[in-house]
Amino acid sequence: MLGSSSGHEAQSVMEQVGDNIIHHVSNSDIHHPIFHLPHLFNIDMSVTKHVLMLWVVVVSIALFVILPVQQFIKKKTMIPSGLINLLEIVVTFVRDTIVKPNVGPKWVNNWSPLILTFLFFIFFANAIGMVPIFDLLGVVNRFVLHVPINDSHNFINGLLHGGPTATGNFNVTAALAMITFFSIIIAGVRAHGFIQHWKNLVPHGLPGFVYVILIPIEIIGMFVKPFALTMRLAANMTGGHIALLAILSFMAIFADMFHSVFAGIGVAIISVPMAAAISGLEIIVVIVQAYVFTLLSAVFIGMAINVHH
Amino acid sequence: MEVLHYFGAAIGLGIIVVGAGLGIGRFAAAAADGIARQPEAADKITAAVNLPLFLLEGVAILAEVFVLLIVLMK
Repeated sequence: MLGSSSGHEAQSVMEQVGDNIIHHVSNSDIHHPIFHLPHLFNIDMSVTKHVLMLWVVVVSIALFVILPVQQFIKKKTMIPSGLINLLEIVVTFVRDTIVKPNVGPKWVNNWSPLILTFLFFIFFANAIGMVPIFDLLGVVNRFVLHVPINDSHNFINGLLHGGPTATGNFNVTAALAMITFFSIIIAGVRAHGFIQHWKNLVPHGLPGFVYVILIPIEIIGMFVKPFALTMRLAANMTGGHIALLAILSFMAIFADMFHSVFAGIGVAIISVPMAAAISGLEIIVVIVQAYVFTLLSAVFIGMAINVHH
Repeated sequence: MEVLHYFGAAIGLGIIVVGAGLGIGRFAAAAADGIARQPEAADKITAAVNLPLFLLEGVAILAEVFVLLIVLMK
């Protein structure tokens, strides 16, 4: 909130609030990236905020999941301890309650790794969005470092722009849903063969005119599934942050409306605890959305393998 | 007339909340009813309720995204 609240004197407070909220959930501007990288195939490869956060997610998964598991496997003791205990609970939970009932006992070991990767990646990406590292950096910048707000080439200003939740970006979740889309096809092809997988999309033995309606519906449904996954995850992660910032923005709006600082302070007594409560709700949403994405991916993959008709 | 899209977005948001609330309420009521009748089937009931609940939530979220698009893109 501190980063961009000054320097727009021409706008009214209401307009500033809207811009500020969008600024705190969307990606940072590609023209002022954090690191400059050259163009590749006419695409600007410069690193924006969400790409940086994806890297942070990758590093934290490596530190908290991959390295401990590698060390545990090397030790050759079968007794888990510490972090491995937690990981084991998560892994067996995903395998036994998400993958096995949906995909079936025959393919469970083929698809558990993918589903687990989804779970860990989405959970870490969601959870890092709730850690206020960059808000803290903004406070430090405001009171200690004093980087001018209009210096767009400064590294710290580059870090402060944009929202920290990488899964709140529709491009990131669309990429994840594309993996699900192709996994559904690969699962069906591996279980039933290439021709039979496409035949399985519609039930056989129906009168001809039903197929005229059914085949387009099934083809649309094939694309709607990943689209709904994309929208659900990104909109949930963006929506929570927007609600949080909107409730905090009431302070500025009310203070402006009544031309008094005390109105803002009075609203703060209500809106700050409410924002804290919504942050608590967001922590649940972070876990639930990671679970939902993995569950629905497992269900869709299972639908291609265990065809009902 | 130029603020009419805000009006539509606000009404749309209200209808979404009514629809999603009714849906989730019916789910919760039916699940609580089922668990009260048969407490030992609580796990199965929760598992059966979860998936359609998330699908419902997805539809509501989609509608909210489109409402947001109406506001942002005018």
